[in-house]
Formats: sequence, C-alpha cells, structure tokens
Amino acid sequence: MRLFLASVLIPLALMICAAAAELRAPAQVTAGKSFSLASTGNGKGMLYLTGPGQASKRSVMLGDEIQIRGDEVEHAGRYTAVICDSGNCAATHFFVRAAEPAKVSLLVHPSRVRVGQPNAISGVAFVFDKFRNLVLSPTQVDFKAIPKQGAAVAQTRPTQNGVTWIRLTSATKEGPAKIGASLGKVSELRVVQQVASEACNLRIKPDWNGGKFFAETEPVRDCSGNAVSDGTVVSFTKVDASGKTTVDVPIKRGVARVQMPLKGNAKILVASGVVTGNELSVEGRQ
Amino acid sequence: MMRAALNVLVILALAGGAYFVSWPAVMADAGSPEVELNAENLGPRPIEELTEKSITRDYGHAWQTMAAALRENRSDLLDGYFTGIAKAILAEEIAEQKRSGVRVRYTDQGHKLEAIFYSPSGDAMQLRDRARLEVEIVDGDKVVHREDVTLNYLVLMTPGADRWLVRDLQTTAAEVRP
Repeated sequence: MRLFLASVLIPLALMICAAAAELRAPAQVTAGKSFSLASTGNGKGMLYLTGPGQASKRSVMLGDEIQIRGDEVEHAGRYTAVICDSGNCAATHFFVRAAEPAKVSLLVHPSRVRVGQPNAISGVAFVFDKFRNLVLSPTQVDFKAIPKQGAAVAQTRPTQNGVTWIRLTSATKEGPAKIGASLGKVSELRVVQQVASEACNLRIKPDWNGGKFFAETEPVRDCSGNAVSDGTVVSFTKVDASGKTTVDVPIKRGVARVQMPLKGNAKILVASGVVTGNELSVEGRQ
Repeated sequence: MMRAALNVLVILALAGGAYFVSWPAVMADAGSPEVELNAENLGPRPIEELTEKSITRDYGHAWQTMAAALRENRSDLLDGYFTGIAKAILAEEIAEQKRSGVRVRYTDQGHKLEAIFYSPSGDAMQLRDRARLEVEIVDGDKVVHREDVTLNYLVLMTPGADRWLVRDLQTTAAEVRP
C-alpha cells in the first residue's frame, strides 16, 4: 500500500511542481484599451507579446495580474502572449477588435464625367477607428451628392466588413458636384467635374472673309444645352473637284472654325465623335 | 585592349551582382506559397481574368516577402508588395523585433482566398484568406512558442503600377460574412 502511494503520489507531486505557469486572456479586447492577463505560478517569469506591430518581452511576477497597456494593443488582430518560467513556456491568444468608428475614407471615381451618364460615378467608403483599424461591425455611412445647381441627393448605406459603396448618375447640367461620405461628425468630401456630353445638333455656316472661305460651327452644345468643352475635336470634310479633304479642328471659345480653299462647287460636312451635323453646299469664288 | 575587355567584364559582373542583391526588395523568388482564389461571389464588379491571376500571384509574393522581412528584420523587403497601413504595421513590428530581440517566424502552408468585394471602378479589392501557417516565436535562438494554426485574414488590396499591393491585412476572430 505504502509502495503504491509512493509510486503514484511522488510523480504527481513532481508533475505539479514542474508544471509551467499558465496565462489566461480575455477572448476579445478593444483596440487601445488596457486589460490584464491572469497568470498562475510564482516567482519571476518572462512575458512575450506578439501581434500586429508588436514583438516585445518583459519580466513579470507570476501569479499576479499582468497589465497590458492600451498602446500595446492598438492594432486589430490576433495576439499571442507567452509566459516562460525556468524553461517552460505557456501561451494564450486573444483578438483585438477595432475601437469605435472615427474616420471614413472615401474613394470616388471618375474625377471627370460627362453629364447624364447613368451609374457613372462610384463612391466607396471605408470605416476606420482612430488607430486606422477597419471597423468590421456594421456601421451606417451617409452618402451625399451636392450638384452645383439643384437639390442634393442623400443615401445611407450600411458597411459590410468595413466597406460600403454607391453608384450615382451624373447630373444633366455641367459643373462640379461634391460627393461626400459622413459618419456622425466625421466626413470626407470629393469633387467630380461634370462636363458636357457629346455634341448635339451640330450645325455649320459659311463665312467669306477677304475672298477666303471659312466654315464655322454654331456654338457647340450637348443635348442638355451644356457647352461642349474647348479642345473637343470637330472634323470638317470638303468634297470638291480636287477630291476629299478632312481637317480636324479643336473647339475654341465654344466654336470650331477652319479656312478651306475651294475649287469650284464643294460640299462641306461636319462631325464630332459619332455625331454628324448639317451639310453645306458652297459655290467657289475667284 | 586586354585591360579594356577586363574592365568591361568587371563592370558586367558588378552590375549582375548588384541586380541579384537588390532583387528580393522588389520581386519575390520562386517558391511563393500556394494560393487558391475563389471569386465566384465577388461583386459589384466582376473580376477580370488577368486581375485574378495578378491577385493570386501578388498575394503569394506578399506573404513570401512578409515572412522574409520578419525573419531577417528587413523592412525594406516590404516595399515590393505592401502599402498603407499594412506596410506601416509590419514596419512597426520589425522595429519592435529589433528592439526586443524577439522574432516571429512564419512557415507558410498555403492560402485559400475568397474575393468578396471589388469596387465598381476596380481600384480596391477585399478578400478573405484562410491561411495555414506554422508560427514560431523566437527569442534570440530559443523558440519560446510554436504552433500550427489556420488563421482567418481580411485583406484589402489596391492596384499599383504593375502589381496588386496589400493595403490592409487583419486577422479576424471568425469569418465575417455579409
């Protein structure tokens, strides 16, 4: 009996004495908030803490609560704490989740868009806490589009995995539109320049000046009445006895104008992009 | 004549050496971890075939260079495939490693990526990754902790000039599903 007790109890006691210290951590911690790890054992030990942006070690007293400062856990993610005592180490893991939403980051594309284009503008918002961790819990983001003229459009969208997005149709009037995303008092604003669309009702007229023939457009506008941007190319084509000649001319101050030498009667055609305009029949002069 | 030829050879050898020394900073070598990408549930923009290949290749290279950067305490290796907050956090971790002498070593055993969000304009993609890893925490030469673990990551990637870069890399407690 004595032999049995000795053979069981002595190894058990040795095992208990040799057992490494243990660590316990809360299952989840909020970024930037201090907390404590519960440890067992006694005497001095070494604590290792690794995780996003973290790889530290320090001496600790085993059996005490081990304080982890808020600045050691500012980044969201999985952390590992290891405690070592005379060569025996024990580990525990905990997750740090993002703190309260504090910042919204907004991507808006494109920066320049033609008027009246359905779903041509997209806005993507990312929600972060003050430590730049993506906030994964659903958060409501308020999107707002403020055109130069007319009423603002607002939409609220919840985030999924820290992200939400919208699509917008560009306004019918040219000019800058402000696209914003806000989260409480925090907001981000981007500007999208809305420019005239393709030319519409493109018309040319003849102009004789000092015996020279010029073809000139009327002010070039899109179908909503917006002036087509200077620099947009207008193609003039002349068909006369010498053959067919095409000249590309950029719009300047709202009109495109070109001098064309004529040989007898000629037809002048005009186009801009896929849009064609009226046809002029011109009788050449000496 | 002989001397000129010798000079040319020396210059070529030095240039070749410099290329191979600088090579790991911007490119990953062969031996990237295995990466599988599932983009079946991706939206709102569908993924392009070339983008799918780039994401798979560049995410693997990102992990390869991250493991090397942490193993060798070289934050310059992060330049190739990391940007923004992901790069800043990893650089911070490497600075901490240098200060404390503690290092984290990853042995990568593969990634199952699922693309979950691709922005309408194609300038950001969010993915979930189930990464199989062997993780070691080392103090000097002593391994104080070793584990084989499958971790869930939420990843944000954005396009760079010629590749996709990891902008955010965050472990999550569990899969976050919409």
